Amino acid sequence: MLDITFASSINALILGLSIASIFLVAALGLTIIYGTAGVINMAHGEFIMLGAYASFTMQNYLGVPFFLCIPLSFLVVAVIGLIIERSLIQYLYNRPLDTLLATWGVSLVLMQGVRLIFGSDPKYIQMPSFMSTNIAIGDVSISLFRVFVFAVAIALIGAVWWLFYRTDFGIKVRAVTQNKEMAASFGINSSRVYTMTFALGAGLAGIAGSLFGVLNIVLPTMGMGYVVEAFLMVVTGGGSLLGTIIASGVTGEAQSIFAFIFNDTFARFLVFILIVIFLRFRPQGLISAGGVRR
Amino acid sequence: MAGVLEIHDLRKSFDAAKVINGFSLDVTELTLQCLVGPNGAGKTTTIDLISGRQKPTSGSVIFRGDDITGLSEHEIARRGIGRKFQVPAVFRELTVHQNLEVAYSRETRVFRNMFHFTVPGCAERLEQVAVEVGLKDRLSVMAGTLSHGETQWLEIGMVLMQNPSLLLFDEPVAGMTEHEIGKTIEMLNELKKNHTIIVVEHDMGFVRQIADIVTVMHMGQLLAQGSISDIEKDERVREVYLGAEEEHA
Amino acid sequence: MAAMEKNIYHNKALQWGVYAVFFIALAIIPLVQDDAFILNQFATYGVYGMLALSISLCWGFGGILNLGQGIAFGLGAYGMAMTMQMQSQDPDINPIPPFMLNNALEELPFFWEPFWNTSAGIFLALLVPTLFYVIFGGLMFQARVAGPFFAIMTLAILSALATLFIDLQPYTNGVNGISPPGALDLGFVVVDPYSSVSYWTVFVLLLVSTVCAKLLTQSRFGLVVQALKNDSERVRFLGYHVAFYETAVYAVSGLIAALAGCCWAFLTQYVSPAQFDVGFSISMVIWAAIGGRNSLIWAIMGAFMVQGAQSYVGDEFLNSWVLILGLFFILVVRFLPGGFAGLTESLLGALSTGGRRRGGDVPVDVSKAGTEGA
Repeated sequence: MLDITFASSINALILGLSIASIFLVAALGLTIIYGTAGVINMAHGEFIMLGAYASFTMQNYLGVPFFLCIPLSFLVVAVIGLIIERSLIQYLYNRPLDTLLATWGVSLVLMQGVRLIFGSDPKYIQMPSFMSTNIAIGDVSISLFRVFVFAVAIALIGAVWWLFYRTDFGIKVRAVTQNKEMAASFGINSSRVYTMTFALGAGLAGIAGSLFGVLNIVLPTMGMGYVVEAFLMVVTGGGSLLGTIIASGVTGEAQSIFAFIFNDTFARFLVFILIVIFLRFRPQGLISAGGVRR
Repeated sequence: MAGVLEIHDLRKSFDAAKVINGFSLDVTELTLQCLVGPNGAGKTTTIDLISGRQKPTSGSVIFRGDDITGLSEHEIARRGIGRKFQVPAVFRELTVHQNLEVAYSRETRVFRNMFHFTVPGCAERLEQVAVEVGLKDRLSVMAGTLSHGETQWLEIGMVLMQNPSLLLFDEPVAGMTEHEIGKTIEMLNELKKNHTIIVVEHDMGFVRQIADIVTVMHMGQLLAQGSISDIEKDERVREVYLGAEEEHA
Repeated sequence: MAAMEKNIYHNKALQWGVYAVFFIALAIIPLVQDDAFILNQFATYGVYGMLALSISLCWGFGGILNLGQGIAFGLGAYGMAMTMQMQSQDPDINPIPPFMLNNALEELPFFWEPFWNTSAGIFLALLVPTLFYVIFGGLMFQARVAGPFFAIMTLAILSALATLFIDLQPYTNGVNGISPPGALDLGFVVVDPYSSVSYWTVFVLLLVSTVCAKLLTQSRFGLVVQALKNDSERVRFLGYHVAFYETAVYAVSGLIAALAGCCWAFLTQYVSPAQFDVGFSISMVIWAAIGGRNSLIWAIMGAFMVQGAQSYVGDEFLNSWVLILGLFFILVVRFLPGGFAGLTESLLGALSTGGRRRGGDVPVDVSKAGTEGA
């Protein structure tokens, strides 16, 4: 314990920010879908996985540069999300547990489908070489790509905030979230709002996938690891955008600090236990999304 | 007559909004008290605060001499306060018979109930209550398939199975047909002979036919209290509430 | 009860009759089939059946969707494997399991000590998971965490446990898991996994847990539990401590899953973090959903059907099989929320009322039907 120096603590904090930004990018789409439509989308992890494979395919077979792959993955996965919402989810909005199960089925199908097409061997997404250099912040050195992920997280928060609080679409979304019947009487088509939100959430998972595919290897099963963590952020945050941001920040830092004191796995376990205890005293999460969902 | 329920200076606020603002009330044994008031007066919130669904910000609720303020729902229910909800809450996937059986909550311990299929006295009580609420012939029906009026009666029956000494009814005739309302009035007038009852209602026509005492709430406070004729003469009540009511009365 | 005469599906005597036929059929299998490998495979199906039963009890009757039933299953399996492992160690000559020596442990960890004694070991294999469920369930239900949120928390705890068991390499042998060298020795009998003894052991345990679960659903407790699945708030206002009931039904289902874990360990003589695999826990939910979560016996049959079909198509087509299973599962959730049980119920309902259906008395909607199910 004597090696807790100033530099190493700062290092842990910065690493925590990086972990937090990953949690956040993973959880953002999920939060939007849950917060708006109350849908627990268990296929979110597979949407992330699809984003990674979309980037991989575009980069390897079409020669699309990496930075262009990110927005294109957004589009590809958003379209897939749109199709799934129209063909399945829209029939299940009043049955939250069943949406959970149905989307689980979707995740199985997506995972196996990708495995049949691409095989089970790992794929890799190349990032531009300058991204792999480390940069020094004081005594701490961190890879440029992690800084990039952090920047993307900030940019996405900004974009989502702008979309929800500064556009016509955002007003409709919030109206539907608050009171579906009332919104309908003002001529807002809630079913359309749900569809668009679902596609948007899926698209955000696509972006997450193209980033995570660089951080880690690309596998059909890669989504599973992210979906549980992402859900914990949504549950802890209470389903609101701000809640998810705070939850990601706090758990990211906590995990990094515990990992610094103990080790990675135990840190993860400890964070999970702390979340359970937290929910015991605040079951609605940090900042609960409007409405009376429980 | 002995006091059953005493509410002292009850307050409840959500953020800045003071929903209940210093409300006090005494309920005496074997009376049917109607709680009336315009929308947003805090009637349902008051019922929530008595039955433990919400916790008051300050003030106290005394039931038969015991302070029950802030206790949880099941503890309050066990002390003998039964509640019927505004939107009828029954177990839709269970039969009427099973609904009433569950409501006979004399024995609430988990392990006891694991090893018992029946509770003594349940069958007799069930028979009695089914007759009282007029569902004798509907016992084998799934509660989800009952008509709206029957669902309301079933919930009244469930509250009766609990055998509470104070009954809280939140809008028991909401959505009922004229005929059903008539039957419910008979039912309530029969019940008040040996129960203490608080009914939340805003239909004065209905209140006129059942109430012993009428309490008018306005903006989370007590506005007036008295017999129905006193209330109907009261100028302030007329102003905030009956004015609108008079037109279609 | 006059209540149930309309649809013979709800006839309690008939339900018990179906149970009897089901278990008699299972009892005949070892009399006509003496291939040890096939018997072992059938016994594994019995384990799956117990797991589906536990899900049906908790989710179908209690309305508590539990995506982390692998918690109890895995803990039970580890407990049993530890017991079996210690049976092959000798306190004087080699008191420490080989994998611990490979991980440079010089002493038996304290929490392995009780497993010297077989009875204590088995007792712990059941007690620890049940206690875990009581504590975790108690915390969550007291806080009124319910529905999808509870499901996600079970999933999170499950995946945390999996990583923990991998991480505690010296005590659990990490990813490799524990493979006890010998069969379980109960003193009066050795439960050889490839013999009818193991089949009968699983059979009896499945029978006992099914009958107990069925009785439980018919008890006052079962009635309250079914009521709180409908509307837990209403139950609360009737004077029941809802969290206690939820914790109890969750813990009982955990106990059954732990029992299944014990069977799994002596049937395969192997346990690894794969038992905590999230995918496996979800499979249990899929079995129960396809069979019909509102019916204990249909849930068990759901496990038999899905796992049976899976081994029938073989490893070659396993990839396409999972794809088909996923699609089938989606269809069941979308169009047949009551699974095969719900389907049977509606069919029998249509048959028994025939042309003389009284207006609205019989629910035709399968999604609502079947709380009183077989």
